[in-house]
Amino acid sequence: MNGGFTRHARLWTRTASMSLQAQLTYRLGSAGFLLGKIVRFVFFFAFVAAVFRRTDRVAGYTLEQTALFFLTFNVVDMVAQVFFRGVYNARRVVNEGDFDFYLIQPVSPLLRMVCSSVDALDAATLVPVLALTCVLLRRLPGAGWLGAAAYAALTLNALALVFAVHVAVAALAVRTQELENAVWIYRDVMFMGRFPVDVYAFPVRLALTFAVPVAVMTSFPAKAYLGRLSPAWIAYAFALGAGATAAALAFWRSSVARYASSSS
Amino acid sequence: MPPALAVDALTKDYLSPIKEPGLLGGLRALVNRRYKSSRAVDGVSFRIEEGELVGFLGANGAGKTTTLKMLSGLLTPTSGTALALGRVPWKREPEFQRRLSLVMGQRSQLWWELPAYETFRLNKEIYGLREREFRASLDELVAMLDLGEHLSVPVKKLSLGERMRAGLAAALLHRPRLLLLDEPTIGLDVVMQKKVREFVRGYNRREGAAILLTSHNMADVVELCRRVIVIERGRLLYDGPLETLVARFADHKILRARFSAPVDRARLAELGAVVDADADHATLHVPRARTAASAAALLRDFPVADLDVADVDIDDIVRRLFGAA
Amino acid sequence: MSKYLTAYSIALQETLQRRATLLMDRVGGFAVVLSLYSFWSALLGGKPSFLGYTRAQMLSYVLIINMLRSMVFTGRGWLLVGEISSGRISSYLVRPLSYHGYALSLDLAQKTVHAVSAVLEIGLLAALARGEVFVPRAASSWAAFALSAAMASLIFFFLEFAVSTLAFWTSESGGPLFCFELFLQFAAGAFFPLDVLPAALRRALEATPFPYMVYFPARLLLGQISGREAAARLAAQAGWLAVAAVLSLAVWRRGLSSYAAEGG
Repeated sequence: MNGGFTRHARLWTRTASMSLQAQLTYRLGSAGFLLGKIVRFVFFFAFVAAVFRRTDRVAGYTLEQTALFFLTFNVVDMVAQVFFRGVYNARRVVNEGDFDFYLIQPVSPLLRMVCSSVDALDAATLVPVLALTCVLLRRLPGAGWLGAAAYAALTLNALALVFAVHVAVAALAVRTQELENAVWIYRDVMFMGRFPVDVYAFPVRLALTFAVPVAVMTSFPAKAYLGRLSPAWIAYAFALGAGATAAALAFWRSSVARYASSSS
Repeated sequence: MPPALAVDALTKDYLSPIKEPGLLGGLRALVNRRYKSSRAVDGVSFRIEEGELVGFLGANGAGKTTTLKMLSGLLTPTSGTALALGRVPWKREPEFQRRLSLVMGQRSQLWWELPAYETFRLNKEIYGLREREFRASLDELVAMLDLGEHLSVPVKKLSLGERMRAGLAAALLHRPRLLLLDEPTIGLDVVMQKKVREFVRGYNRREGAAILLTSHNMADVVELCRRVIVIERGRLLYDGPLETLVARFADHKILRARFSAPVDRARLAELGAVVDADADHATLHVPRARTAASAAALLRDFPVADLDVADVDIDDIVRRLFGAA
Repeated sequence: MSKYLTAYSIALQETLQRRATLLMDRVGGFAVVLSLYSFWSALLGGKPSFLGYTRAQMLSYVLIINMLRSMVFTGRGWLLVGEISSGRISSYLVRPLSYHGYALSLDLAQKTVHAVSAVLEIGLLAALARGEVFVPRAASSWAAFALSAAMASLIFFFLEFAVSTLAFWTSESGGPLFCFELFLQFAAGAFFPLDVLPAALRRALEATPFPYMVYFPARLLLGQISGREAAARLAAQAGWLAVAAVLSLAVWRRGLSSYAAEGG
């Protein structure tokens, strides 16, 4: 980063406001996207609720506990959609030369790339989801304050992991100038995070914990709150979050250096 | 004061993967990709002082844009050095970037859906301008570029010329000391080209900023630049006053004659190179030193009704220069 | 006819060329199928059946979803929106070519590749499940499924075409398309069998063409519908196909005339 936290914060606010203005000029388009996301959320919720009318446990979790997993997934996923939206344009930004402007301007190109378009409408859907999560957390007999703290910390850690994934995708766009699907495969694999990781068979669970750590991003916070995550696993999650972030940033820097030595 | 640009033996090689034909070739490339190296810029050196406005000429693919990209810090050279405003550009230090601007023809940094004013405010944050500086700069640019009523219209609704001028304003809000202009008038109509040229000259004089400009539009070069740098296939071909370049290549003058009676073409050829002739009209290229003698001979030996002596067009010269490349 | 065959063959080669994209599409789709199956599997727990689905039938349903997703939901809607918005569509309109026919050729090429890939994946999964898959014996089930799946693909093609054609009127038709596709996947049963839903909602959905795209063909293959009811439903599906085709062509014609009126 090029330093100057306040300046980057102001820059971010400015971009967010511009994104919102741009979205408002596309009323029909934005309404469609917003409605689509609400449809998806409501349908899944209805699905989970409908299932529980005929059974009282799934993989040992009650309806409310399963809902916590689902909501936690949504919080993490939506925050990423709101704040790291810019990555979805990364390939276009590189191919159409906007990235060249990012590079010659005195602010962090990474910030501009990853956070360049803040999805304000998604932020609107995030609010009710957050509220619902809070309500649910209060109703669930959890592991007390310690559990709540672990939940919050692990959710933040999940966001760090999601950030790392987005940085890596942006770096790939800079490096290869193709690979438009990198971010979509992430979306598809993230789909698995909608359910508690315990529903999966052992080898899949293993993969989701270590290889593509979707479980660490979506299941770990809820499991910690419910008192079903040992300190060792919590430690693993944080180590993974820190390691992945560092690795992604290094990959970004090397990709930019390579771009500067080979782009034509 | 250090020079605005000090470039020494700047060289850039590109590696490009060799695409082998066919599916088998594609598979082989997956495992063992082979590259070929091509030299885009080859040992280019020059200096540009503060306040100079220099034209940077060359045919397509001569290495102009690659050079500009290195000087703005977008590309790291393979070898050689460059200091721009006393800094190494490709280190991309914020202190340097705050004093630089690169304008690339039709590439715009303006947000398409929003009025240009919104992008201006974004650039205010990017360059950390104070409100007062921003206002002063903006007012001046709006007046000079005649942008007034266009500021509140979404960029996508602007004409190409309006968009180009708004893009220039966005690039200059922070009053860069070094301005790299890549084809600033491309796609504009003649009136608009003139406006942009006047603006560029004005900015150069008022701010004393150094400007390096590439253009395929000879009018840009002729009207703006006293000094030009010419590169060909990545090598420096010429660096000096535009007039000298013209003189070097304009080793002949043009005689155009109209005749009152048909003339013998073979006899005309004794005076100079006949480039165009019919029954009552001819155009000849004659060596500079023999202009007067040739004109006299023409008047004496032929039924001349009208005679015109002209310098070679600079457009022609530069075109010839590039044509040779 | 031969020009459409040529278009088909070129599109086939192109889809095969972009192997990275194809692979990512498949991996992503596979992740979705895997998570659905795992969730159902956890639901079943030790019970012999859930909602009338045995474990084998549920696994089959999920595998059929994978097949139908590949055959039905692989349209070119986004490309069409792009071609209309950018004006590239004009270059097709001046040729002696039915754009619908052309688009269908390209679509079929993509569907071919995805369907073949789905068959391979299903074979692999079925082998992993060691015969726990319900395989219908009756040839009539297979025939009815094939017919129904083909019609489902065409219904989707025409409906998606109609929604994408909105691009003639607004540059923002991406939003409605996004919303439409998400809604469609749920309403068709591509995430879970519609039996889960409350009866009233299910009946409401059955009055729309959507369940005919996944839920209905899947039930045909599973042998849950047969005889006279199957025939009646197939007829209804054919009716919907006709409606979708007429609608799509009508919207297209109106779109073209409004496009021409504005001079592109």
